Amino acid sequence: MQPPQPPKITGVEVVAAQPTEAESAAIAHLSAESNRSLSQVAYVVKVRLKEKPPATGMAWALYAGDVLIPKYWEYADGIYFTVIDPQFFADHKGKRLRFSQNGVDFHDTGIRLAAPPAPTAAARSKGKAAKGKAARLPLQADVLK
Amino acid sequence: MPSLRNPAIAGDFQFDTFIYGAPPLAYPASLSQFLIYNTPDPAYVTGRINVSAFANLGAGTPWPFSNTNVPLNGHVCVPRGRGPFPLAVFAHGNHNPFENSTPGYLYLCQLFASHGIIAATIDVNFLNGSNFGENDGRAIVHLEHLKQFRTWNNTATHPLHGKVDLNRMLIVGHSRGGEAVGHASFFNRLAAIGLVILDGSAGLGPYRFGLSAVAAIAPTDQQFTPVTGPTVVPDPYFLIHGSKDSDVFTFEGYHTYERAHAVDLANPTVSDGKFKAMLWVHKANHNQFNSIWASETAPGVAMPRASQEEIAKVHLGALAQLVLLDRREYLDVLRDHGAAVAWDPAGTEFVSQYQHPERIFVEHNQEGVAFPVVSLPVQGTVAADGVVATRQLTALVGGAPTTTITLRLVWSALGSRLRLVVDPATLPAERYKTLTLRVGQSTEANNAANRDQDFTLEVASGSRTAAIPASSLHRLLYPDAPPFGPAKIVMQTLRLPVERLIESGVEPSDLRSISLVFDRRATGTVYVGDLQCSN
Repeated sequence: MQPPQPPKITGVEVVAAQPTEAESAAIAHLSAESNRSLSQVAYVVKVRLKEKPPATGMAWALYAGDVLIPKYWEYADGIYFTVIDPQFFADHKGKRLRFSQNGVDFHDTGIRLAAPPAPTAAARSKGKAAKGKAARLPLQADVLK
Repeated sequence: MPSLRNPAIAGDFQFDTFIYGAPPLAYPASLSQFLIYNTPDPAYVTGRINVSAFANLGAGTPWPFSNTNVPLNGHVCVPRGRGPFPLAVFAHGNHNPFENSTPGYLYLCQLFASHGIIAATIDVNFLNGSNFGENDGRAIVHLEHLKQFRTWNNTATHPLHGKVDLNRMLIVGHSRGGEAVGHASFFNRLAAIGLVILDGSAGLGPYRFGLSAVAAIAPTDQQFTPVTGPTVVPDPYFLIHGSKDSDVFTFEGYHTYERAHAVDLANPTVSDGKFKAMLWVHKANHNQFNSIWASETAPGVAMPRASQEEIAKVHLGALAQLVLLDRREYLDVLRDHGAAVAWDPAGTEFVSQYQHPERIFVEHNQEGVAFPVVSLPVQGTVAADGVVATRQLTALVGGAPTTTITLRLVWSALGSRLRLVVDPATLPAERYKTLTLRVGQSTEANNAANRDQDFTLEVASGSRTAAIPASSLHRLLYPDAPPFGPAKIVMQTLRLPVERLIESGVEPSDLRSISLVFDRRATGTVYVGDLQCSN
């Protein structure tokens, strides 16, 4: 019997989407806590996999460099996670995506974390109208179809 | 033990089984195994909960709800009679979400109900899939099911009104559900988790249940980590795991076990008053604890499914008898798996550990990785004669790096010994029933393959010495070959009755030295967790 093999990543894409209600609350809290004005945007990081890991007890934890992605979920083409703080990308874009089952042994996927899409001119010009911007963004459910 | 009845044998209570759920639900045909929840028993209608702060649902499964309104579905076996009855609630772990994992513990629910325990197995399938980090969500779902039973107990018109003993509750989880029960035990005491207030104002909580114990079957560990650090289970904790587990193959739950009820270095004599117990089952695998899940191991690798289910019934049954039905005599099974030898499938090999809340450490090894010392407040010295004694952070069971220091003892000549000389004025051994040592062997080359390890425990007071072969207390099994990866070093708790020392002329109030004398095998390596006087 062979030990489980880490998933193979075939691509990474970051899509700006409307935050869920829980994410909206988290964005508001983070804005207040860090004294920053964060937009009501959830960045959906879609990690396309050659084959999704089986639904078992053990899991492959995903890391961007040395930073653990605390939660990820399944969609049709792989797994995804969401980011509400753009600072995450400033800190970690370009870092290698790695899988580990124990936090000690890492499997480098050879794929790097992509940057979020640049805001459109229209969005930039209306940057202060955060809620209006969010309303024009796609729903996460649509992004994940 | 003639007075003890096999806890795996059905009791005298008749019981009824109900499906509970949160209509309107309309599971699609592709989720045919869930159609039973579309029409729950009319008396057992539940509500929905919002778990969106904790978990998303897998986008690959057509659940007829979102994470803001997941249903509380389950199966409950209710004993007939007036009650009140204790409550046990089981939760499955991660698995193919199209296969309903929930009924996989009905064999345990039915056993429990026959003994007068309301026993439920809950639906957490909507959190299953190729996910990671959702075990806080599983914990919340588990706690909300307990809340549902409290609500029914408090509802005058409900069939369970006044029938649930809210002071006797056991939560049991398997795999990721086993990790989640640890988080549930931790969350149970909290007023909020991050931004989520648990006072009921937003639908979740309040909890603060009187949990009698938490039981984890082959659990994962730290797939979710609270912001305060790895979860330390605050309630009595029971852990069971199989050596042939080919899913959670690194015995993750052992890390949870080690964190629970550990020594407080600032107050080493202070106990939190809770026990912990562990059972390592040779030849058991992961999936066969759930009667629905197909075995993950090839035929012949693991024990037969019926044997594994029987072991679950014996040992979880004993736990339930102890913590839910107040049958204190079943504590013997937790203290020593040998107490269940007549009930377990013949020939099954186990390794077990037990830590009683009433204990004083003679040596706990957690002071650091220097040469071993006698642990304060007990005073004394340690000497190694022909033994290489090294305290180290050994990865005994694989998985994440351990935070618990273990003493490694290596010898290569008969008669080598590790001797602890103690000041009897600082060790009130006479107040305790046993001298307790956790020790286990490895697959290192100086341990003969497939042979039990052995040594002599010498305990002296004044001029009298008792020499007790370790093998007379328990076998120190050679590690079972794992499905892959290194073999696990699982320590066995050896419990030497103080009464036996007294019979040998040793005066426990004047205990002066404790030695591990390696005079029964010419060479070897063993690992020592701790040495305690305990009950």
